[in-house]
Amino acid sequence: MTTRRFILNPLRTAQQGQQINVGKETPEYQKIVNTLTMSAADMTSLGLAAGDSVRVWTEYGEAIFQCEAGKVPDGLLCVPYGPPTSRLMGGGTDGTGMPISKGWEVELEPVKVAG
Amino acid sequence: MRNRADLVIYWGGNPAECHPRHFTKYALMPKGKHLPRGRKDRTMVLVDIRETKSVKAADIFLQIRPGRDFEVLTILRAIVKGQYVNPAMVAETGLTIEQLRDLVDRMKRARFGVMFFGMGLSMTRGKHMNSSAILTLAAELNAYTKFVAMPMRGHGNVTGADVIMRWTTGYPFGISFDRGYPRFNPGEFSTVDLLVRGDTDAALILGADPGATMPQPAIDHLARIPTIVLDPKVTHTSRLARVHITTAVTGISAPGTGYRMDEVPLPLRPALKSPYPTDEEVVRRIHELVRVKPDWLVHQPRTTQQVF
Repeated sequence: MTTRRFILNPLRTAQQGQQINVGKETPEYQKIVNTLTMSAADMTSLGLAAGDSVRVWTEYGEAIFQCEAGKVPDGLLCVPYGPPTSRLMGGGTDGTGMPISKGWEVELEPVKVAG
Repeated sequence: MRNRADLVIYWGGNPAECHPRHFTKYALMPKGKHLPRGRKDRTMVLVDIRETKSVKAADIFLQIRPGRDFEVLTILRAIVKGQYVNPAMVAETGLTIEQLRDLVDRMKRARFGVMFFGMGLSMTRGKHMNSSAILTLAAELNAYTKFVAMPMRGHGNVTGADVIMRWTTGYPFGISFDRGYPRFNPGEFSTVDLLVRGDTDAALILGADPGATMPQPAIDHLARIPTIVLDPKVTHTSRLARVHITTAVTGISAPGTGYRMDEVPLPLRPALKSPYPTDEEVVRRIHELVRVKPDWLVHQPRTTQQVF
């Protein structure tokens, strides 16, 4: 499998904000926080189609996302904050009280999910 | 700014999605005392690493490379002061020197400029140094015109939490009361650091869902210790807590005060009645019961950290 290095930028969306008030355990919310957006060129170069699964990892943890193409620069990944992004986040705060929440260097590879 | 800001700069934020009323109610659309034509009298500049939904509202979009905010701000400060700028450094930002000079020119010509900065600036590499750089740029621009900078806050009423903690203790967050008086030290007493280090042996969570937002080591520690959650809904944190007390929703079925991002307090009047108690009532009742409990720690060293 091809492994590529990306910059991951977790973010918030209006749709996520609305869905929080419906419930975080709903399938709609789960889909939002598990969908990763990348450029169409990056998806093509990795041989990915919309809805395919990718494994993303940092030195702190890993998570599986479903990917889709969107208006982001090549080399950048965007995904709404949620439990999967928590698994990738480091616990250090450099004395500021806040961990680095954006701009993580991550590795990504396409995966085949059984079933 | 509603009445005077003729140059509005959003940096590392996406208000179209995250603060949907900001354009229409406060910063862009309103007609002001000195801006009778509203939007037509203002120029909006958006600085971001990607093309967000806010781009449609911008007059000028400056797309910078990820993690280059500090460099762009420092170059802007150099141009403001007329100092030499290294073209190789400019090339690394993803912008051209012409774009940056044009922005500085607009900043100096503005009658009242405002920079709103979001998590794209303050939570990325450089963090507080980025915030410091944008605040310094705003301060230095006051040699030429009136300029201010303001953070675009995250969830509802985080400004309120900061304001109340400041007025009661003198500090905004990262406060320990373990010596009987407030001490402030981010990195030592801040919540993420305490949880990741495993320093706390109990947690009371009000109106927050750290189980969905904090780093995994902090979440793991919350699951290990007795965690009590006050929340109207089932959340990731309530799932890992020992106790979840369902409370009324502030602003909908419970009264309270919300603070706007510019620290203006707004009274919240409930439209509905709730069968559940308010957060305030639950905490008050817990406090009353704790107060009458015999002090079984009287001859032992205190180990409990109270953090906010």
